[in-house]
Amino acid sequence: MTPIDLTVNGERRTVPVGDDDLLLDVLRELGHTSVREGCGVGACGACTVLADGHSVSSCLARAVRYDGVAITTADGLPTDDDVVEEFVAARAMQCGYCIPGFVLMGHELLAENPDATAAEIDAHLEGNICRCGTYLEIRTALQNVVARRRHDDMARRRHDDMAKESA
Amino acid sequence: MTVDSHSGVSAVGTDGGAVGERWARVDARAKVRGELRYAADEALRSCLDVVVTRSTRPHAVIESIDATRATQVDGVVDVVTGAELHAILGDAIFTGPAFADQPCLAVGKVRYVGEPVAAVIARGHAAARAGAEEVAVDYRELEPIHDVDAAVLGAPFVHDELRPSVVFGDLAHLHGIRDTNVNYEYVLRHGEPAAPPPGSTTVQHEFWCPPTHHVPIELPFTAAWRDGERLEILSTTQTPSYVRQSVADLLGIPLGKVRVRSAPLGGSFGAKMYDRLEPLAAALAWTRRTAVRIAVTREEAFLLTTRHGAAVTGSMTADADGTIVAADADVRYDTGAYADVGPRITAKSGMVASGPYKIAQAHVRSRCVYTNKPSAGPFRGFGVPQVTWSHESLVDELARVRGEDPAAFRRRNLLREGDVSVVGTPMHSADFVGCLDAVTAALDWDSPIERPTGRYRRGRGVAVGIKAVLTPTISNAVLQLNQDASATLLISTVDMGQGSDTIMAQIAAESLCLPEGSVRVVTADTDVTPYDTITAGSRSTYHSGNAVRKAADAMRDKLIDIAAARFGVPATDVKLTGDGLVSTQTQETASIPELLHGHFGARGTTLTSEAEFRTQWQPYDKQTGRSPQVTEHWFAGAAAAQLTVDTMTGRVHVEHLAIAGDVGRAINPALVEQQLTGAAVMGLGHALFDQMVFDEGQIVNGTLLDYQLPSIHDVPDKITPIVVENPHRTGPYGAKGVGETTIIPLAPAIANAVRDAVGIRFTRLPLTSERILDALSEEDS
Repeated sequence: MTPIDLTVNGERRTVPVGDDDLLLDVLRELGHTSVREGCGVGACGACTVLADGHSVSSCLARAVRYDGVAITTADGLPTDDDVVEEFVAARAMQCGYCIPGFVLMGHELLAENPDATAAEIDAHLEGNICRCGTYLEIRTALQNVVARRRHDDMARRRHDDMAKESA
Repeated sequence: MTVDSHSGVSAVGTDGGAVGERWARVDARAKVRGELRYAADEALRSCLDVVVTRSTRPHAVIESIDATRATQVDGVVDVVTGAELHAILGDAIFTGPAFADQPCLAVGKVRYVGEPVAAVIARGHAAARAGAEEVAVDYRELEPIHDVDAAVLGAPFVHDELRPSVVFGDLAHLHGIRDTNVNYEYVLRHGEPAAPPPGSTTVQHEFWCPPTHHVPIELPFTAAWRDGERLEILSTTQTPSYVRQSVADLLGIPLGKVRVRSAPLGGSFGAKMYDRLEPLAAALAWTRRTAVRIAVTREEAFLLTTRHGAAVTGSMTADADGTIVAADADVRYDTGAYADVGPRITAKSGMVASGPYKIAQAHVRSRCVYTNKPSAGPFRGFGVPQVTWSHESLVDELARVRGEDPAAFRRRNLLREGDVSVVGTPMHSADFVGCLDAVTAALDWDSPIERPTGRYRRGRGVAVGIKAVLTPTISNAVLQLNQDASATLLISTVDMGQGSDTIMAQIAAESLCLPEGSVRVVTADTDVTPYDTITAGSRSTYHSGNAVRKAADAMRDKLIDIAAARFGVPATDVKLTGDGLVSTQTQETASIPELLHGHFGARGTTLTSEAEFRTQWQPYDKQTGRSPQVTEHWFAGAAAAQLTVDTMTGRVHVEHLAIAGDVGRAINPALVEQQLTGAAVMGLGHALFDQMVFDEGQIVNGTLLDYQLPSIHDVPDKITPIVVENPHRTGPYGAKGVGETTIIPLAPAIANAVRDAVGIRFTRLPLTSERILDALSEEDS
């Protein structure tokens, strides 16, 4: 067993892991059951987590390689997370099992590309499977996040400009 | 997404403000944040892990099993064989919903590659897996049979004799029959066979639907432990009530000694029902007096059940006026090594194998056939998509041969309200014409489309589907009204993404005028929630919904009686509104909290009501296959597609897909639209690429790297789900189910559009690029 420093959703802890232990199993044992096995071969996206902001299929990832890495899981997102809000509003879920993976993929995409188009959203989500077929709602949710952030951004800029003018 | 909601006539008033509303799913936020707990997420007592050693042979006698090396693996506690369990449990080890033919561990013989042969119990999954690799099995190979049409003809036989279960009385006559692979045959004879009239047109084809897999993304999981003389099970199951009885029978213990809990399911589509991992987990926990957990891999999940592959020889005849006068179908369902519910599928699908049409003469022969492959079982549509593939291709071809518009041809021949189908049961609340018209209107069917003649060819196609709801069945509901005017609903319906927890809350809230968020549905637990036949076959909204409505109505009556006594007025003068109870005579009011507080003289109390709902049928006649009441109600759906075919690559691109279902009445239109759309996306996979490929009985694409499922790229440019509402006279607020409605006509709608685009009739699913290219080049040569 090798002790590794794992920061999960901002909480740092030392976890002893075996060389073959999967990040998926380690996170689930820590109580993050939003991370789920769907295929075991990195082909469905249900086990997606963000490692330093980048998506990783935790069913293929050896935990020992994530020493000192910041991990984000869907259950650790802030309570007012805008991607979560827009998924809820767009009814982007049926059975819900795969949805946390889509939420994290959405976060990754919009951090890199705040103006993602429908085609770019589709390209980014092509490795995630929703067997209930909720793809349209998922795409809509992410398009709504793009619009919402753009709107918030403009409002913030307007506010800053007004503050500048009055100063 | 475009949504055209056709609001139908609402025969029943909805004063409660819940039915017909687009309430959010009760678990929406928990699902998005990943906080909803599925079965494998629950904290359990300490369990030993079980991994099974699987057969490497399709058909063989087990000569010996040597577990010596397995037991030496660090962490392995025990290795159990089928012979050992058989010695303890006897023939009760053979279970199944229609035939008691499947052992949880092979006894004497293996019948498919992947069949469980020995169970390794260990501390930790890795040790169990390592142990399972070390079990040495010595086989004497028998000749296998893989092809359904070869199996129909005769030897080799997968089973020495048929073993119908005690569940279905109408199978009793099959007990002990030997030397056949056909475990069930349904025959429909309607009308007198006659020579085709002069000027008539007949089309005939051989059709094939391959086996497919459900692939719910949540993997099957079962834990079982012995608690003194009781057995407790937590399982990913759509059928907790069935599993309770099945496990009690397996172990020979009273029903009351078995507790089965389910959990929210991460999809199922028929994969997680009847006997899956539960018999093995129960047998091991009970006989070894321990707690066990079985978590299978995706590769193993592919072996647990499949959709039936099916061959159909079909023909259809129209007279000179364009009336369908005769239809014939010979259907062979490949049920694999164990019957599971295949015999029911064979009958239920045989009844509708000639489609939703008025036909003077119909003949169907539908057979359920054993082969040496993984057992096939229920899958969204229950065998009906396979026969719809046949009748909707035939109808389409018949129209085209006659030079008629396929939609107009169908419209003239479709069954209408009150018409009696070929099976002898009348139509009600099944608006096939309405569904057909809705999907064709969405595609602007009567306006010609642009038809390029180069690399890309455009076409349009339509198909209609019919299915009978499972009958007879039973649902129960217990409702507790809490003193704070919230409610707790106890039912054994399992929410697996269809949204039943939300729908049932809406139905309960309606009679009681309760607001969104006030009704909690308890997850199925046979110690707590009452019997429900199964959560499957799109039956829950109608059956559980009726039980819930009756329980809620009974609760309303109780409240009114209590209020009448309080107000000193007759019950007929008391009304329940969103604000509570009011006397129309004295205008005196009392909120529910006030009323219950006054009634019980305490806070925190609950008022309880309960109800049952059952449906009846008349069994079909053995000779004709007909019955005046073969089903409680019918499902009607339609799909229309506009697509292009790339003649260079063979790829199909769906530009617009319209789907419609007559749901009687939409309890929650948003959830109905999701079911219509989700089933269509799944059906699109079946149409274009989704299939299990076997080589000599060995599955060759049983991983998600190899098995193609619809991704976001496969979604059509535009999807139009259309809710058609013709209220059912005995549905809760007129409602029926919806989960299967649009998967049924989906594949033929796509193939009919491909036919329209490139002029080629495909009879084998799926329409892969390769198959389309082959057909195009054959056409050229």
